[in-house]
Amino acid sequence: MEWFFYGLAFLVAVAITGSAVYALYWASSKGQLRDLEKGAASIFDEKEPIGTPTDFFPGKTPKGHR
Amino acid sequence: MASAPSLAASLSPATSSETVTRAELSEIDASTKAPAMFFLCSAILWLLAGTAFAIIASFKLHNPSFLGDSEWLTFGRVRTAHLNAVVYGWSVNASFAVALWLMARLARSVVRHSGLLMLAGALWNIGVTIGLYGILAGDSTSVEWLEMPTYATPMLFVAYALVGAWAVITFRFGKSEHIYVSQWYILAALFWFPWLYSVAQIMIIFAPARGTVQALVNWWFAHNVLGLWFTPIGLAAVYYFIPKVLGKPIHSYYLSVLGFWSLAIFYNWAGVHHLIGGPVPAWVITAGIAASFMMVVPVVVTAINHHLTMIGSFQALKFSPTLRFIVFGAVNYTLASLLGSLMADRGVSEVVHFTHATVGHSHHGLYGFFTMVMFGSIYYILPRILHREWPSAKLISLHFWTTAIGVIVMVVALSVVGTKQGLDMNNANVAFIDIVKGTLDGLRLRSYSGILMTIGHIAFAINFVWMVFTPRAENSAPTLFRNPDPDLEVTAR
Repeated sequence: MEWFFYGLAFLVAVAITGSAVYALYWASSKGQLRDLEKGAASIFDEKEPIGTPTDFFPGKTPKGHR
Repeated sequence: MASAPSLAASLSPATSSETVTRAELSEIDASTKAPAMFFLCSAILWLLAGTAFAIIASFKLHNPSFLGDSEWLTFGRVRTAHLNAVVYGWSVNASFAVALWLMARLARSVVRHSGLLMLAGALWNIGVTIGLYGILAGDSTSVEWLEMPTYATPMLFVAYALVGAWAVITFRFGKSEHIYVSQWYILAALFWFPWLYSVAQIMIIFAPARGTVQALVNWWFAHNVLGLWFTPIGLAAVYYFIPKVLGKPIHSYYLSVLGFWSLAIFYNWAGVHHLIGGPVPAWVITAGIAASFMMVVPVVVTAINHHLTMIGSFQALKFSPTLRFIVFGAVNYTLASLLGSLMADRGVSEVVHFTHATVGHSHHGLYGFFTMVMFGSIYYILPRILHREWPSAKLISLHFWTTAIGVIVMVVALSVVGTKQGLDMNNANVAFIDIVKGTLDGLRLRSYSGILMTIGHIAFAINFVWMVFTPRAENSAPTLFRNPDPDLEVTAR
């Protein structure tokens, strides 16, 4: 019985490793690893653009902050 | 989205993701409200319970008769209850909340199937409650990090698998062109944990492997919970919140990708360093030590990225509560990880192994880094899902200073007293009882720092409850949604 579990654990480990290798291949083939500058900017948009802080202590937002 | 999609449609390979539209951030935040609030409320309740167990366990170490006549609260049970409450109760619930909010935001689509998450949340918390009861009742399995009895653990696995399935669906129907590094970390972590947990449960508890193989599996699991679950979730949050709060892209996106893949390759091997000196094949331990030192690569890469993004923007620490906690956490990630690699060295391990220094180190990582990052994330997330501000800036400051000073005092005290304890234990001329007495000052200091952190947690909980129960004022959107002042721009690279 214990060899069954060793075998199962080994197969699962191979599957997990395989999925990591596939994920890297997939990312590369989809161009996810190209144009990294654009990737870094992907969390910003028109409403929350680069250059705009988005977090303040409550009630302490600087004057002029509409 | 016109109507909620059915689960069958989300699972069917034939369903096209073209039907999903790219959503506004405010819409996405609103759609995360129910599951995120459920996980956050549970997390904070477990944080308070775990803190109470921690204080009891800590006082018992220098005052053994404290609550000494209750078998439910003996040291072995209450210390274990502390670990499980803060790890599986607080940390995992907080991780789920932060991860689901980040996943939805980064995928740029509203949450599908929040019912799946609610079911997972219910199962997880019932499982942890039963597990904690089992531990206090004396049913602990006595395997470190897997102490919960077998009648609780399958529920945790199912809950976890549901969250993983939800994340895959969210990823599949995502509308973001680029997969941001935080998404990589979260998705990978959601794959890794069920793997670790199921293999460890089977090979140690349900169909125990022979002898030392159990110890190997145990430390492979316990160390990887930190490295392949809490670390990726914490780093995902740091990689999102530092640039987002500052309005400044991460210093080097290339390094962040390198950091992710090197963590994925090396961390899995490192856990065996807990068995240095143990009866396992020497090459296995050597491989573990080598991997521990290879971890310097992702750690340094991540450190360069976090700290160089912050350079020139330190004034932002004054105005952003989120940034304070997150940057404190990021600095401690660097320190705790580098010290961790050093502690895996055979010579250093000979001294610090089996001493209070190890306990100090685990609090450095799990509290100084992870918990502080979670606090910071919650300060950012909650106003956006509840559409109101935190009620008290003073309580936030109190929370930050008590927990920051508390964890520093705790880690320094335990590291110093633990190293001395280790050196003395290796010296045959020092009597054991003298070594034990020598640790007392450090242990007392640890209890006092724990009281400080408890004050912080209570301040946090009060602010949280106050915020949840404050009615939303008319026409007063939180400041954070207002258009920014052009003068306040943080210099972008």
